[in-house]
Amino acid sequence: MISLTFSNVTKRFGARTILDGFTAFLPGGCITAVTGANGSGKSTVLKLAAKLLLPDGGSILARDGDKELCKASYRSRIGLVSPDFHAYPALTARENLDFFLGFRREAPLRSREYEELLVRVGLSPDAVAGKRVGYFSTGMQQRLHFAILLAAGADVWLLDEPGANLDDAGRSMVRREARRAADEGKLVLLATNDREEEAAADACIALSGH
Amino acid sequence: MKSYEKGLWLFILLLTGSLMYAVFFLVPPAEGLGNLVRIAFFHIPVAWVSVLAFLVSAWYALRYLRRPQSRFDAISAESAKLGLIFVVLATVSGAMFSKLTWGAYWNWDPRQTTIFVLLLIYAAYLTLRSVIPDGQRRARVSAIYALFSFLTVPFLVFLIPRFYFSLHPSPLLNASCTIDMDPLMLRVLLASLVDVTCFYLTLLYHRVKEVHHHET
Amino acid sequence: MHVSLYRAIEAVFCKEMRISLRSRSSWLVVLMFALTTLSCVSLLMQGDVLSPRLAAAMIWVILFFSLLSGAGRGFADEEQMGTMTALSVYGTSQAVLFGKSLFMALLLMALAMVVLPIYLVLMDVAVFSLPVLLLTLLMGTYGMAMAGTLLSALMAGARVQNGLLPVLMLPVLLPVLLPAILLTAGCFSGETHGSYLVGIALYDAIMTAAASLLFDFLWYED
Repeated sequence: MISLTFSNVTKRFGARTILDGFTAFLPGGCITAVTGANGSGKSTVLKLAAKLLLPDGGSILARDGDKELCKASYRSRIGLVSPDFHAYPALTARENLDFFLGFRREAPLRSREYEELLVRVGLSPDAVAGKRVGYFSTGMQQRLHFAILLAAGADVWLLDEPGANLDDAGRSMVRREARRAADEGKLVLLATNDREEEAAADACIALSGH
Repeated sequence: MKSYEKGLWLFILLLTGSLMYAVFFLVPPAEGLGNLVRIAFFHIPVAWVSVLAFLVSAWYALRYLRRPQSRFDAISAESAKLGLIFVVLATVSGAMFSKLTWGAYWNWDPRQTTIFVLLLIYAAYLTLRSVIPDGQRRARVSAIYALFSFLTVPFLVFLIPRFYFSLHPSPLLNASCTIDMDPLMLRVLLASLVDVTCFYLTLLYHRVKEVHHHET
Repeated sequence: MHVSLYRAIEAVFCKEMRISLRSRSSWLVVLMFALTTLSCVSLLMQGDVLSPRLAAAMIWVILFFSLLSGAGRGFADEEQMGTMTALSVYGTSQAVLFGKSLFMALLLMALAMVVLPIYLVLMDVAVFSLPVLLLTLLMGTYGMAMAGTLLSALMAGARVQNGLLPVLMLPVLLPVLLPAILLTAGCFSGETHGSYLVGIALYDAIMTAAASLLFDFLWYED
């Protein structure tokens, strides 16, 4: 099972210290929520977990059993939904999925799989057919990002404010999918300020901010 | 400043002083070039160091990529900064020599072209460093650029002499691998090479220590 | 799950192709830029005949600046669309590098195919060896695209983007521009030096290997 260990992680942006000696163990099969006020470093923790950002001090270790994951072997197992994650606006939902899955799956999705996936994230296949993502509403885009995450078969889910821009049905879809992923042994890291999402988590890390 | 560093500076100062004396009073005017040959004792070592600084920069860029330590990045960056100064000095002294002997400051001679490309690379490297805000990313990106541009140098050394016509005096070691130079001049030239190289290394050491100290 | 590199490269290449075909304006801008530079040269020469060397240099200068003006945007577009995060999370380094650079090479080659005939007509230049000229263009544009993709990736996340690419690009591209100009001049004058083709091929090979190795360091920072 996959796990992430933050040991004594420090991150600064210019003169501002966002994280100072942050230590946490995130096990697979478990939803871990990161909470805290705006600017307390929730998104930074997620970016660090994705290894899109490097810490100024300390280390972040990803392991799968006894094997240490780094570089491509780790990157190919993560999935991300965050406010600065955008699919290609000039492509349709199907084309976006085919593109992103081109890195993770040997064969493209079959039409049935594709429709099931859309229904699962609450998008109606007819409404999105042939339509460019740029014309989607923000909530629809967010749902598409979930579809990409699901179809990519990521083992580490990094969700930054996943319920933002979503209606009640969408938010319950997020909670349902996160729970299901955790039950399948995946690692779910959730940055949120939403009470319900926080309640759905198995563990909670509160960031105090600096 | 530690005592051995002081000693090094003193050594450089003494060597430079005696070299000045040798260049202006001992070295005979060269055949065909006259007194202008004295510029060479400045020009050649400075040009050598500007190439050396580039090698050092690329080497530490490679070491940084293999093991990201801020010291390697500091050496690479400081070496490039010093290299830029030396390459400007080499270009200017070369242009002066060129004006006085061939009547034009610049004529895209192969060596002028090579040094000019080196100047471009240094300038590009330092500009790139200045536009990336995040420290670790800057180190990584500039290391990659240093190595990537380093790869073009062998091509240029091979290509440029075929592309541009040369008036430059033949290099120290000519085609037949014999040293065709007055023995005194050769000794003074070698000493000045040592002098300028020491000067560069000491400056580099000093600057890296300062930057590193400042960061931690 | 191990996906073949070929499939991933194809995915990137097709994506680039789709997006650029849908925003015709970007093609048009690059094309018009090349044509304007071309007419500029031709108009200002006032019908004078250029020496083969100068004519050859001109065509490569036009291609170089076209690369800079739009064809070489590579990662700048991703940043502008906000898709850089998505690409970094799901994309694999080698697929992104090769998909993008092959597409850039195709774009440049297509541009050269449009510009060259017009140039030859306007400048009244005769071509002695068409195969050599085409081979030079093919290999030259490939090398330019490869180096251009890596350099444009370096600039992702930089504070200033405009105007920096040419600064980084010129020293790195000189070793391919110089022999390409010599070869093209040879095609215009009738004395071709085949050995320069080997030089360009060597450059292409080394740049491909280097870009492939170095890009990993850029893509996976840990």
